[in-house]
Amino acid sequence: MTLEALFYILVSAAVLGSLYAIMAIGLALVWTTLGIFNFAHGAFIGLGAYLAWSLADPSQLGLGLLAGIALALPILVLVGIASERVAVRPFLGRDNLVLVTVITTLAVASIIENAILLTWGSRAKQLEPLVEGTVSAWGIGVSAHEVAVILIVPFILAAVWAFLQKTRTGTALRAVAQNQNAARLMSIPVTRIFALSFALATVLAGLAGIFLGAVKFMSPSMGADPLVKALIVVIFGGIGSLSGPIRAAYIVGLMEAVLTFSVGIYWTQASLFLVMIAVLMVRPTGLFGKRG
Amino acid sequence: MTAARLLPKLYLLLAILGLLGLPFVVTDSYSRHLLILAFIFAVVASNWDLSLGYGGIFNFAHLAFFSIGVYGYGILAKTLGFSPWLAIPLAGLLSAIAALIVAIPVLRLSGVYIILVTFAFSQLVLQLVVSQSDITGGMMGMVGLPPLSLPGYNVVRDGKFAYYYGAVILLLASTVYLRVLVKQPFGVSVMALRDNAEYAISRGVSLARQRTLTLVASAVFTGIAGGYYGAYLRVAAPDAFGLGLMTLLLSMLLLGGTATVYGPIIAAVLLTFLSEAMVDFGAWRHLVIAAIMIAVLIFYPRGLWEALTRLHLWLVRRLDGR
Repeated sequence: MTLEALFYILVSAAVLGSLYAIMAIGLALVWTTLGIFNFAHGAFIGLGAYLAWSLADPSQLGLGLLAGIALALPILVLVGIASERVAVRPFLGRDNLVLVTVITTLAVASIIENAILLTWGSRAKQLEPLVEGTVSAWGIGVSAHEVAVILIVPFILAAVWAFLQKTRTGTALRAVAQNQNAARLMSIPVTRIFALSFALATVLAGLAGIFLGAVKFMSPSMGADPLVKALIVVIFGGIGSLSGPIRAAYIVGLMEAVLTFSVGIYWTQASLFLVMIAVLMVRPTGLFGKRG
Repeated sequence: MTAARLLPKLYLLLAILGLLGLPFVVTDSYSRHLLILAFIFAVVASNWDLSLGYGGIFNFAHLAFFSIGVYGYGILAKTLGFSPWLAIPLAGLLSAIAALIVAIPVLRLSGVYIILVTFAFSQLVLQLVVSQSDITGGMMGMVGLPPLSLPGYNVVRDGKFAYYYGAVILLLASTVYLRVLVKQPFGVSVMALRDNAEYAISRGVSLARQRTLTLVASAVFTGIAGGYYGAYLRVAAPDAFGLGLMTLLLSMLLLGGTATVYGPIIAAVLLTFLSEAMVDFGAWRHLVIAAIMIAVLIFYPRGLWEALTRLHLWLVRRLDGR
């Protein structure tokens, strides 16, 4: 293996890891606070990309990418709150909550994907990159957008961490995650915290979609594949914590980059799933999860 | 008292007569086609009910059992040249073996982790199918699978008459199998494990054995239905693993009502026709069906079967004059 190949593997691993981290943390956030698995997460990824495109693209409103992202985020917050209201809140307290919310979040995913299809059509679109051009170091060129993603994502993750650790609302959210009844007794508005965590997860998914929309062509079902990847990451890292999925995201990114290089794209996916099942069999609560 | 005992028998009689007589009323081959698909999905959904509804095992590999049946039929009947009549039961056997493999990681896990590992298993099977394009045709799938054959009778050009009765026999056999299974001590112990695992174990029920048996038992007719699907549509495609089909089957199960067997069957027929009736509405179709799904789950937590049960109780009261 040449040094150049190694460099490309590492860059690709960092890009994939960053995207997976930001996708998986939203999924893990909803799981830890609400105790449900959100299958609409992939649709939120697509929605974020399309909203930003509509606001930013010169052929549409043409506000520029930054304004597009800034305006897309509040819309995503509203969509997240509405989704929680429809797909989760009516079923809270039912004994089959986990199962029912699988189907209701799948239904929300279907509603959003088809709404995207009806609004924007099926023609492939692409967002403009965060930064134009390529960055070259030691004679090897990498797209500036990918470098930007690698650099920005740790800040987003740090912001989420700071919110959860340093603010009263973040503390309340973690309290709900740890013990709902105790949190309710401390007069924390539990259902409002649920809506908040859904909204936050939706924003994180939307950001992932915006980063992804400049790398790949956008389609209404563009989130399906990332959703499966985020699932792998969350299995790998364990769903009980938030730091587990982040570490796992970069490990899965590295594994995917190395596997794609060594065994080819077809075997990569199968190998990843095999590793996941093996991990779950040896450590049933994930690699970084607490032993239960 | 009499009405309460007689009515269920009457419903069953009417349902069986209806199933057998329907092709004489429904003569166009397209409606018959929809009925055949609905019956196949009814078998898959009601068998999923065994592991998910009765067993409480969040098994998301059920669709993989179906797809293994479809592809198993394709490989056995087309590539290896087995008779379709042999290949279909063998497809059921293959699915049962797959269920045995899934059981190994499932037994070590609980709750949402079972969703994750079974979902990962079905994705793994999908990736294997897609990557082995020499055997499975990759993304294109396998086409031109052999149809059923009857001596001296053309199965393909009879307005789907033979395939209809094949599907009815499959549905009836599967339903009898499921009803007998859940009434047996086996079914009772499986439900006991679902409702209170510790208590059931302390009364001598083996969690590992019953869970494994539940998964295997739910896979047999699912694989056979997969084989029949392959013989009927004569195609094996990776779509059979898709999130779309999984959503459809899961909604049949939850809309019909879990742990009822009959509920998912009724919901399968309703949803197949509802979805087909709205085919001209394009993307609106999926949107509306998703919204209906959420609404039914909000207002009928136990599914359509609950609504039908209420109707039945009302009827009993009226007939008994109370």
